[in-house]
Amino acid sequence: MKLLVCIKQVPDMESKFQSNGTGDWYAESDLAYRMNEYDEYAVEQAVQLKEQLGNEPDVTVLSIGPDRVGEPIKKALAMGCDRAVHIQDSAPHTKDPWQIAAIISAFAKDKSFDLILTGMQSQDRGSAQVGVTIAEELGYGCATTIIGLAYDNGTITVKRELEGGIKGVVKLKTPALVTCQLGLNIPRYPTLPNIMKAKKKELITHPVSDFLREQELTATTSVYPPTKRSGGIVLEGEISDMVERLHAILKEKTAVVR
Amino acid sequence: MEFTREIYWNVGHGVVIPMYLLSFLAMGVCAWGFWKRVPVYRQGKSLARLDQLPRRISLLLSNLFGQIRVIRVLNPGAFHAVFFWGFGLLFIGTLLVMAQADFTHPVLGIIFLKGTFYKIFSAVLDLAGLAAIVMLGGLLVRRFVIKRDMESIRDDYVIHTLLFAILVTGFLAEGVRIAATELVQNPELASFSPVGRLFGLLFLNTPVDQLALVHKFLWWLHFVLVAVFIAAIPFTKLRHIFTTSANYVMSDLGPKGSIASINLEDESIEQFGAAKVTDLSWKDIFDADACTSCQRCQDRCPAHTTGKPLSPMKLVKQIGETAEANPDHSLVNVLTEDVLWSCTTCRACQEICPANIEHVNKIIEMRRNLTLMEGAFPGDEVRTAVSNIEVNGNPFGLAYASRGYWADGLEVSVMDQDSEVDILYFVGCYASFDKRNREIAKSFIKICNTSGVKVGILGKEEKCCGEPVRKLGNEYLYQMTAQENIELIKAYGVKKIVTTCPHCFNTLARDYKDLGLDLPVEHHTTFINGLLNNGNLKIQGEAFEYTYHDSCYLGRYMDIIDEPRSVLQTAGGKLNEMDKSRYESFCCSAGGGRIFAEEKLGSRINVERVKMAEATGAPMLVSNCPFCLTMFEDGIKTGGYEGKLAVRDLAEIVAERL
Repeated sequence: MKLLVCIKQVPDMESKFQSNGTGDWYAESDLAYRMNEYDEYAVEQAVQLKEQLGNEPDVTVLSIGPDRVGEPIKKALAMGCDRAVHIQDSAPHTKDPWQIAAIISAFAKDKSFDLILTGMQSQDRGSAQVGVTIAEELGYGCATTIIGLAYDNGTITVKRELEGGIKGVVKLKTPALVTCQLGLNIPRYPTLPNIMKAKKKELITHPVSDFLREQELTATTSVYPPTKRSGGIVLEGEISDMVERLHAILKEKTAVVR
Repeated sequence: MEFTREIYWNVGHGVVIPMYLLSFLAMGVCAWGFWKRVPVYRQGKSLARLDQLPRRISLLLSNLFGQIRVIRVLNPGAFHAVFFWGFGLLFIGTLLVMAQADFTHPVLGIIFLKGTFYKIFSAVLDLAGLAAIVMLGGLLVRRFVIKRDMESIRDDYVIHTLLFAILVTGFLAEGVRIAATELVQNPELASFSPVGRLFGLLFLNTPVDQLALVHKFLWWLHFVLVAVFIAAIPFTKLRHIFTTSANYVMSDLGPKGSIASINLEDESIEQFGAAKVTDLSWKDIFDADACTSCQRCQDRCPAHTTGKPLSPMKLVKQIGETAEANPDHSLVNVLTEDVLWSCTTCRACQEICPANIEHVNKIIEMRRNLTLMEGAFPGDEVRTAVSNIEVNGNPFGLAYASRGYWADGLEVSVMDQDSEVDILYFVGCYASFDKRNREIAKSFIKICNTSGVKVGILGKEEKCCGEPVRKLGNEYLYQMTAQENIELIKAYGVKKIVTTCPHCFNTLARDYKDLGLDLPVEHHTTFINGLLNNGNLKIQGEAFEYTYHDSCYLGRYMDIIDEPRSVLQTAGGKLNEMDKSRYESFCCSAGGGRIFAEEKLGSRINVERVKMAEATGAPMLVSNCPFCLTMFEDGIKTGGYEGKLAVRDLAEIVAERL
């Protein structure tokens, strides 16, 4: 059984974001990077599945980006992935989700992966399109926002998180693709022996030009911080009057009061 | 007439051969008992503890004969010490008798137990025996009458009975001899055995032939009891006579708080930290035998006294039991994770231990196994904090680029712009990011500015010193962050570092040496004290009443006890000491990486400490550590002490008086 996990390196969300010189993305200075949170769930799920199946499955981790994406790749290997593919691209943010999905599909199409795992979305761009587009390109069945996964003899059963706290259960035949959501698992902390072993695992680097054959379909025209809005509403006056007004606001603007 | 006594009176020289045979048998059993333990110790990893022999021997002599560490807790330490000296004198007396009776007299014809020397000899031994009996009686009453909740095992009954019987039969045998040979015939000599004489008076009217019979019986009983005592040493707590003494010799002579750095380059290492006793050192196993179960560690352990499952004493004992019975068992399974994570590494246990047992590093070794081999954490909140340090170099997860924001507008050089400074202020995570603790950093800068000291900070380039993660067992992350700090500090050609955090201070001053940074590092309390002493800093003393908290990592770990008090006195402070102060200070709960962890077991340590501070009646608690400050601010709120007690850092007090 062959598994592919697609991960993305993103800035830590606590970082101080500023838009870049061309105004179409964030500036890279003063950012701390980490593995996209949802992709960590995907890595953990792949490694757990491998362990459940007696370590038989072979897990490949893939990431697109400049040299610095070596860090999350190393972490994924230390968590238990078997081999890694680094698609070298100095400016991944200039590719739209369609291009990213097309690059990954081009890489994966002749590798016969049984299961592909991705995060449900990236924390920086947040398009949530890459996973589903890969599935479409490869002709795989696809389930999104999964919070549970079980595999049995060519069938995977996943639990999906739907709107409003509703859960759904979906069965898919492999090959399949799933996108992972918070709640699926708690990603393991890599042990030191595994960190050391990770250094010796296979890491293949391809230039992005090997797989990039598509033009972008969407273009980011500008990235900017939200305009500062005026402060909140302060209610003053008689208690009963304030209660009435608060009730009206909650009814109008939220789903708390029906 | 020259005063002396006939040795082997009544029992005759015929006893010599059976007596020596029995003695050698007892000593043989004793030696065999210890020899049997050697393979148990040898299961542990090698560790050099016999270098610097002269220093080690002087430690042995001062602690064994001076009973220094035992007396540190006067009750019952003084009882033990006086008993030890009494029993020791009796032992020396017996050796002198042996030397004369079986060597100098028969071989060389010399008798030295005579005349004035004999009188002194006799009186001293009598009083030594009396002291030993009284002290033993005191200890007996303490254990079995006063402190009935104290855990007593078979050994305790055996030892008390045996020692008491030895002393009493000794005096009885002496008394019978005195009744038969001195009371009437030589009353002056009898008066030099005051206690023996009293025992002799019991037999004043007993016929001489009966006395002879009773004496023979008592002499043999006394002798057999002593033989049993010698043979019992390795099989009961009496073993501490040798094992605790040996532990003085094998003390850790390194700087206090040193932890062995793991060589992360060594790819042959397969096991990090201690999963089994065989991963610990032989000394860690030996420590269990050196333990006398005195409970001093347990009584002072902040985790134990607030109802957490950790007892440093039990932990040490359990390691010993596991080494003996189940060396293959997992230590975590035996001890439990809760026990290992409960430790705040406050060092109260190690500081007070009369046997020089090293508790803290055992716990850290076992935590290393949990963290490095199993990826375990005491809780998810700790996992988050650790991963924040990995990404942003601080446990809060705040943007690393904002680390230096607190200094905006202050007269501070940021090293990447101007590294020509007198001191590098290593700010640490709490003073950099935490709103309350930023006041410490600002106060310290104000003090430096006033004193004409040019200060630099690393700003956004600084990272966590790595102390909390190291104490949690994560040596890998510690060394990674430490190396980055060290390279940076070296590159700027820093001459001296000052910290306002005792955890940073310990780490930079001692632990970074192992990783290649050897610079003078000072804590702000001593640095300010120095500025005051050399006249570079003048403050307007303004009266205030306070109580002072010795942080573990400044007091117990670094012996900085008086300097902060001196600064606060200059500032006009009137000190109300807490009962638990100086080396006996009670942890704030945040050491050992517990600053990141929620305290889920037992009661809150910080509230306990705030309660002690409030009990002094002082309205202000002064600390010297951002962790302590954080815990006390919290303890004051959660414990309901708002309005009654305020907590300040020493730097704040000084800065207000410039």
